[in-house]
Amino acid sequence: MSPQEFFELSIYISFGLSIVAFLFTIIRLILGTTLADRILSLDMLVTLGIGFIAIFTLHTGFYAYLDMAIALGLVGFLATVAFARLLMHRGETNDTPAGDKLEDIEDDDTQQAKTNGGAS
Amino acid sequence: MNKIFLINVLLAFTWCAVQGSFTFINLIFGFLISSAALWLIREQFGTSKYFNRTWLIIGLIFLFLKELFLSVVRVAWLVLKPGQSYKPSFISYPLTVDSPHEITLLANLITLTPGTLSVDVSDDNKTLYIHCIDVEDVEALRKDIRDGFERKILEALR
Amino acid sequence: MLDIFLGCLLIAAAIFNLIAAIGLLRLPDVYTRMHAASKAGTFGSGLMLVTIAIHAGEINIASRALAGVAFFLLTAPISAHLLARAAYVAGIEPWSGTVRDDLKGHYKDKQGHLSSDDD
Repeated sequence: MSPQEFFELSIYISFGLSIVAFLFTIIRLILGTTLADRILSLDMLVTLGIGFIAIFTLHTGFYAYLDMAIALGLVGFLATVAFARLLMHRGETNDTPAGDKLEDIEDDDTQQAKTNGGAS
Repeated sequence: MNKIFLINVLLAFTWCAVQGSFTFINLIFGFLISSAALWLIREQFGTSKYFNRTWLIIGLIFLFLKELFLSVVRVAWLVLKPGQSYKPSFISYPLTVDSPHEITLLANLITLTPGTLSVDVSDDNKTLYIHCIDVEDVEALRKDIRDGFERKILEALR
Repeated sequence: MLDIFLGCLLIAAAIFNLIAAIGLLRLPDVYTRMHAASKAGTFGSGLMLVTIAIHAGEINIASRALAGVAFFLLTAPISAHLLARAAYVAGIEPWSGTVRDDLKGHYKDKQGHLSSDDD
């Protein structure tokens, strides 16, 4: 195997490993248990995305993608900072399932509509 | 310190102007030549402190890269070894550095070194709280930080 | 020769990223997971950018890639610190196996005001 071929092969191997890493991170994003775990998984997804773009840059040889990786890093950092502030000022540890809340609101609305409808 | 650095940059630009080519490589070459010139006159103009400090900062950067690599290897081992036998803990660390930028630097260095992650600094800038992933001897860890990073930061920045 | 070295570097970086992701799955609580994400993850992606810098061999691309690495090394500890602090202030319990907790009781309110050891 020539060195050139080995380099091509290593690019494909690292694509594969990155995809598995993406998968594991998404499993943690879904399992969660706390909001902080989910924020951490999103941060990790951004980091993995930067790595993926870096491999893609090597694969295509088109170095303009590098700017995209740096910009993604900037935006991802700001997103994590914003999420951390949200977590702190929200002051909740356990996620109440979003479905319950929505149903409550809907119930209230429908009940109100019904009572309104009944009144008028 | 900063003045000498500015003179160094100015001399590098002068080198480029005399050479007539403002490429990046030539600018770096001019910077090296002008720092060599400043090194030659260190006895007369007192620039030796500038060079000492530059060496200390370069040493700090290399120490940091070495510790970063060690920390990644250690985290990898902790993740891959079977069973959950690690002992995480939050510990407090009394700071001797006191200015905000020194604390920032120390906290960032601590986060990227083996098994430690800085969580918060107290309001009066006296205590740094660290989360350790696997710690046996708390006093040894404190001593490690005090003799390693904190001493180097004090040497390089004061 | 250089190609073989760069290939090994790239695979090592991808393995570090994978280890970070496995750590995210396997470690018991958010504070320990943060160690894996902020160290192994940053190191892996940074190593990939270094690979680009060596592979390109041009000074303008290499300087951009190395600036990216410096940027990640600066921002990763800050986001980890913010997240750990926010998680602790919001009251997320550390893992039951945590041996020692010096932070306990030092937060005065939900705004994150922190007293030091002395008082």
